[in-house]
Amino acid sequence: MRLRLPLDQNFFGKGLVVLLAVPALLLPTLVLCYIFWQAAPVLSWGFVVGATESAGFGMADGIFPQLLGSLLLAVMACVIAAPFALSTALYYRAYASHRQQRLLMVMFNMLQGVPPIVFGLCGLVVLVNLFSWGVSLLSGAVVLAIVVLPLLVLNTLAALERIPQQYSEAGAALGLSTGAIIWRLWLPESGINIMTGLLLAMARALSETAPIMFTATVFSGVVWPDSIFSPVTTLQTHIFYLAQEGNDAQVTTIAWGSAAVLVLLVAAFGLLSRMLQKIGAH
Amino acid sequence: MTIVLVLGFLLYSSWPLIAQQGVAFIVGSEWYPFESLFGMLPALVGTLWAVALALMIALPCGVAAAILSAELLPARLRNPLRFSMELMAGVPSVVYGLLGIWVLLPLLESQLNLLTGRTLLAAGLLLALMILPTIMVLAEDALRGVRQSQREAAKNLGLGWNATLCRVLLPQAWPGIRVATLLASGRAMGETVAVMLVVGSIDRIPEPFYNFLQPAQTLTSRIGREMAEASVGSQHWAALLFCGLLLAVIAIVVSLAAHRKASVVV
Amino acid sequence: MPRYENFDDAINCKEATTRATTARSTIFCHGENLDGGTMFQGKRSVLSLAVFLLGIFSGSLHAALMIKVVGSTTVLPVVAEAAKQYRLMHPELRLTVSGGGSGVGVASIERGSVDIGMVSRPLSRFEIERLGNTIEVIAVARDAVAIAVSKAVFESGVQRLSLAQIAAVYRGEIRNWRELGGMDAAILVIDKEASRGTRHVFASVVLGNARARAPGATIITGSNNEEQAVISQSDQAIGMLSNAWLNDRVRAIAVGEGEAALLPTAENVAQGRYLIQRDLNILVPKNSSAAVMDFVGFLRSEKGQSIAEMVGFHPVR
Repeated sequence: MRLRLPLDQNFFGKGLVVLLAVPALLLPTLVLCYIFWQAAPVLSWGFVVGATESAGFGMADGIFPQLLGSLLLAVMACVIAAPFALSTALYYRAYASHRQQRLLMVMFNMLQGVPPIVFGLCGLVVLVNLFSWGVSLLSGAVVLAIVVLPLLVLNTLAALERIPQQYSEAGAALGLSTGAIIWRLWLPESGINIMTGLLLAMARALSETAPIMFTATVFSGVVWPDSIFSPVTTLQTHIFYLAQEGNDAQVTTIAWGSAAVLVLLVAAFGLLSRMLQKIGAH
Repeated sequence: MTIVLVLGFLLYSSWPLIAQQGVAFIVGSEWYPFESLFGMLPALVGTLWAVALALMIALPCGVAAAILSAELLPARLRNPLRFSMELMAGVPSVVYGLLGIWVLLPLLESQLNLLTGRTLLAAGLLLALMILPTIMVLAEDALRGVRQSQREAAKNLGLGWNATLCRVLLPQAWPGIRVATLLASGRAMGETVAVMLVVGSIDRIPEPFYNFLQPAQTLTSRIGREMAEASVGSQHWAALLFCGLLLAVIAIVVSLAAHRKASVVV
Repeated sequence: MPRYENFDDAINCKEATTRATTARSTIFCHGENLDGGTMFQGKRSVLSLAVFLLGIFSGSLHAALMIKVVGSTTVLPVVAEAAKQYRLMHPELRLTVSGGGSGVGVASIERGSVDIGMVSRPLSRFEIERLGNTIEVIAVARDAVAIAVSKAVFESGVQRLSLAQIAAVYRGEIRNWRELGGMDAAILVIDKEASRGTRHVFASVVLGNARARAPGATIITGSNNEEQAVISQSDQAIGMLSNAWLNDRVRAIAVGEGEAALLPTAENVAQGRYLIQRDLNILVPKNSSAAVMDFVGFLRSEKGQSIAEMVGFHPVR
């Protein structure tokens, strides 16, 4: 069989593109496979739910405290941010004039551009010191809430914008006030999508390390936090502490294991939101 | 509630300025808190270099992947690629830090025969890895936003694939790609943990100027490392807050530029 | 995939994607219409979440007594291990331990945000002025700051250095191991963050001033762990490390002039002959609770000192 390759300019052009794109094609799979390959020796159910107050660097029998801390922070952050996000999105849709809308959009783009560590710094100054909340779950959650707020608002807005205009018009035609339209029409309609956005925000909050490093976490000593004013240990910071070692093969495996669990967690939230989306589409 | 947030912003930004009364100009090149030297230049240069390196690596790769996905691949291959990209986008930065410190650094040290792998190059590579998904996804969307009729018109005019790409598709998708670049650089600039672990953390401007095979410091790395140890209210503290302010200002400018450019598009 | 009507929509939607983690966020950007009613499942989950959080809130009413310890990463293993043992005896207590460096320990005690601060160096004059009479400085172990080199360097012949030579290396005057009797390789000089206690002690002995700069440094690391990792992964490194972190790949060299050079052995440290050594201290505010003082007592007791020895330090006689 003779292969007839049109060896013209176009072919080389395409070839160049393919060549340049090869890393992009291979890297995601490589990266993910590597993480799980390295983590394989240590991943087990016991690893995930075992809990000891780790003393000594990462020689814990399990990472449950860290898992719990990460989840608590992410969930609390979203719970704190949700009312603000919802009200802002509703205001944007229902009440804001064009100029206000533009202004709000600018603000959110600004907020979204700010590096999370700056929020962490702010949080350290204001929450930990000024308000004397100390290094605590609450400080971390508030800082994370600010970090995910723009994302949440934009997602909620998008969810609201999927409601067909006819619904709102029909509601107005029937004599419903704006408040009633919001309460009885928009929210039930977009509820699922808003929840999906919330889950995505939680996934985002799970992957932030810098803002919570000094506002919410300690190295060891906490399994179940007593109150919102107590610090927690999180997967992200645990991985960070372990990353600074690098000799002990056992420690590195634990670090990879924690990383794998974290990635799985983030993926789980994503999957959950996707499932929710499917339910909502019915 | 957004007003509260803006207030929070202004509040913290005024802090360092209050304490900075004594210090005149901070654009110095030495950072040594014990001697009250608070030069911003090394970290600034480091940040800019790291972001530039990341963009130089990720942009060609990401755009090429976008072109591949949008123009060359059949639909059934497109979705898995997109999915894997978005999965990668979700991987927490601390995990990239792990990859950097245990995979990238030894690789760099052995391949390039370096004294230490903790260099700007390592930071740039890691950041490139992190912003690749962003660039690819946004560039692909930009490319697919170009109307099909454009491609058909090009074909009718007898343009080959190369020419269609360079003369028709890319210019039209360019605004989107530009936005993607700006957003990606914003993300790269703000990345703390991964960079902190691999950059070397030494406040020195690389010499010669373009030598990225030397350890250096970035703004985020400096804040991350020294945040907890500066006593509140001291000059060191104020200087760190100023670093944060600098970071925020640059990031905001980039972010606004990204969006203003978007609205100017056809 | 549907096309966008204008780029504004596209970009605003893409905000979500750049930070979001799955493909589903892009669904939001497409103008697909929902029809039919949907159950507002969100309400139920919010409720259960609220109940959970209420639980945490109310937990603060009967919170266990918490002792917060923060500071030097050198002292951390001792205190963390002791905390674990101490909790076995006092289960109603909570002891959280965190690192960050001696500087963090001092700063946190100043702020009053912790109960015990860990520092691996003596307090400076300014710190004593600031903290003065409000705290007590208690030694819990004795440690040597070893000058650690990579295994390859050690085996190539560099096994003792004088203070002057080490200072020259850190000032950038000596750049190759060849000049010190070793192999022909550049020296990877590892410095520590300026606020670390280990560096403080090193600088005051070797460079003459606790706050001296080290222009010859190649990279800066933070905790002892990090530095140990770098030295062990390299073949050409030199760094300052607490004695307890030495291992096969990270070797201590003898410090001193010629024949008088000493290794940081237990004997040399106990007799104070090793040149670079320090007490590992904890800072305890004078008006601390009984629980805190109890724990401090535990640290200085037989059991606590044996923990210190187990970790790799020398007990305080």
